[in-house]
Amino acid sequence: MLRRYKTVPELKSRESAEAISFVDPALACKLTAMGVRPGAVIEMVRKAPFGKAYYVKVDGIRMALREEEAVSILLEL
Amino acid sequence: MNILLFGNPNCGKSTLFNLLTGLRQKVGNFPGVTVEKKTGTFSIHEITHTLIDYPGVYSIYPKSQEELVVYDAIKELQSSAEPRVGVVVVDASNFERGLFLFSQLADLDIPMVLVINMIDLAGRNGIAIQLDALKNELKHTPIAVMNARVGLGKNRLLDALAQQIKEQKSENYFGINPTIFEPEAFEQQEADATKRQQSIRKLAERVVVKKEVQAQKSKLDWWLTHPVFGYVIFALILLVIFQAVFTLSSYPMDGIEWVFQQIAMHFAAWVPEGVFQDLLCSGILPGISGVLVFIPQIGLLFFFIALLEDSGYLARAVFLMDRLVRPFGMNGRSVVPLLSSMACAIPGIMATRGIPNAKERLITLFVAPLMSCSARIPVYTLLISVVIPKQRFLGVVQLQGLVLFALYLLGIISALGIAFVMHRMLKQTTRSIYIMEIPDFKPPHWRNIFSTIFEKIKVFTMEAGVIILALSIVIWALSNYGPTEERANAVRELKAEATYAKANAKERNQSEAAVLLEHSYLGKFGKTIEPAIAPLGYDWKIGIAIGSSFLAREVFVGTLSTIYAHDEASGNFRLREKLMREMHPDGSKKFTLASGVSLMVFYVFALQCLSTMAVARRETGSWKIPILQLVLYATLAYTAAWCCFQIF
Repeated sequence: MLRRYKTVPELKSRESAEAISFVDPALACKLTAMGVRPGAVIEMVRKAPFGKAYYVKVDGIRMALREEEAVSILLEL
Repeated sequence: MNILLFGNPNCGKSTLFNLLTGLRQKVGNFPGVTVEKKTGTFSIHEITHTLIDYPGVYSIYPKSQEELVVYDAIKELQSSAEPRVGVVVVDASNFERGLFLFSQLADLDIPMVLVINMIDLAGRNGIAIQLDALKNELKHTPIAVMNARVGLGKNRLLDALAQQIKEQKSENYFGINPTIFEPEAFEQQEADATKRQQSIRKLAERVVVKKEVQAQKSKLDWWLTHPVFGYVIFALILLVIFQAVFTLSSYPMDGIEWVFQQIAMHFAAWVPEGVFQDLLCSGILPGISGVLVFIPQIGLLFFFIALLEDSGYLARAVFLMDRLVRPFGMNGRSVVPLLSSMACAIPGIMATRGIPNAKERLITLFVAPLMSCSARIPVYTLLISVVIPKQRFLGVVQLQGLVLFALYLLGIISALGIAFVMHRMLKQTTRSIYIMEIPDFKPPHWRNIFSTIFEKIKVFTMEAGVIILALSIVIWALSNYGPTEERANAVRELKAEATYAKANAKERNQSEAAVLLEHSYLGKFGKTIEPAIAPLGYDWKIGIAIGSSFLAREVFVGTLSTIYAHDEASGNFRLREKLMREMHPDGSKKFTLASGVSLMVFYVFALQCLSTMAVARRETGSWKIPILQLVLYATLAYTAAWCCFQIF
């Protein structure tokens, strides 16, 4: 089956993509409160050297996410 | 009146709190949890008001324990009729996000004051806020534009507060939801959030003017989070911190101890001899000194932590380290507390406050005392010099040094091991969402840094210090008092000895002290537990030393030298030689490789430090955790020491 989306960990360094939706409702609430909405452009600034943590830039806000949070953000292909 | 301070993380809220209250601050915990609650006082027109600082949040709906505090507080506010004013601090560069929190609070019928902070940074980012237009929209909310870091706009804020305290008018601009949803009602929360954001975006379009400015690409960030250079830089920073807490602090610590010795000597000359002089000069004064001696380490560690945090660097280091300590149920923020515990667990445990997740914080705090602290060094070096031969291992490495290194390593490995087990055993009570905003770099703000240091020192001396002082007086009393008749007899017997007659005044004093200690309550304790510690290869003398080293581990060495002062066979040797010559009744050596290693391993694990327990109590809010640590680590120490004694 062909997926219509990818998730944050799949972004390459310096690559960016538009967020379609957030899978996890609790996370969605938190992200919305932080000003990150579906439609926001998420840019991968750096992947942590040993993986499982991501430093991203969302509409100018810089934040670090762990794997659980990062996979529940669906991005446009 | 109670003024409630809210705002997003990194909006400059604590800078503003420090600006208003100065040193008139009090730190406590929110009820039932160990989230720090800072309150302070300030006055407007000679009327004193109380400012309560709440943890930084993006929304009133909780996604972590810290945020739950804010939610609970707001729920409580809703049910009380007490007059209050809420202040929301908004970072001008993130106006819409800050206003989101403002809108939630304003809808709950709390009279508000809006602070638009860090206006200078926003200007540099090409963001301007048209104040008149904003005032036109939020008609009932006094607004203060500020740059709290330099104190700009303080009077505007005080005026705004004075106005709202008098008028008590709630903002009716948003009118989206006048009640508060359940924390788990995610769908309602999100629908509500969407409505708010639409309303706020429209407002922002009329109020915020954005100019495109050439974005300055920060090279610094690239270096600091680099997979190689990032770690190198962080390792260097850790090295500096460790050196400072370990070495630099020893000068003021020696100074404090010297001053108290002088004071005790002078008092001894003035106060008539007797129980009171004893209590004052040997019990209370050394006890106070034993509390104050931690202040340099606490001050230095928090100087560095506050500096790293305030400049924005710490978030980057946490991002780099998080993955490495996560398998052990810890957080990137656990690294600095754990490392500083290798100098001393007291400031290390206090530094676990910075860990946002309750479970990760508990694990870090729990295993921190296993990191070999500097108070263990005198114990290790004495024992190593007694039982480990001075030779090279495989012809290259000094064996004695290697053993010391192995003891340190054992501490680190067991800390990680226990953390790993706890991580598996402890259930996460509430799911915590881990999103850490990485703030802009900014020059550190000295008032914030020194206010942190001051506050930590104050909390330590007032809350942990009192317990440490009380317990150290108890231990002092146990080692200085005993059955009167028995002690008198023991001294009489000593004076009848042939060696006593030959000895000079100093030697006589020393052997008297040894005999008195042997016949003190602590001495009784040592003899009582002898059967229990015999399987580890220890006798009652070591039992006494272990008991007294609850004050601080290095006391072990001092107690042994007191006990061994009275020893007919030993004559005028140094403690090390005395221990090497010490024999069992059957003529075998007492300090063998087996009993020495067993004792060193015992000190790796045992929580021989009542100051650590006092601080753990203060940080967790009850004796439960420190007592659990004491029991668990004593069991571990006993088992490991027994194994070592059997193997070697």
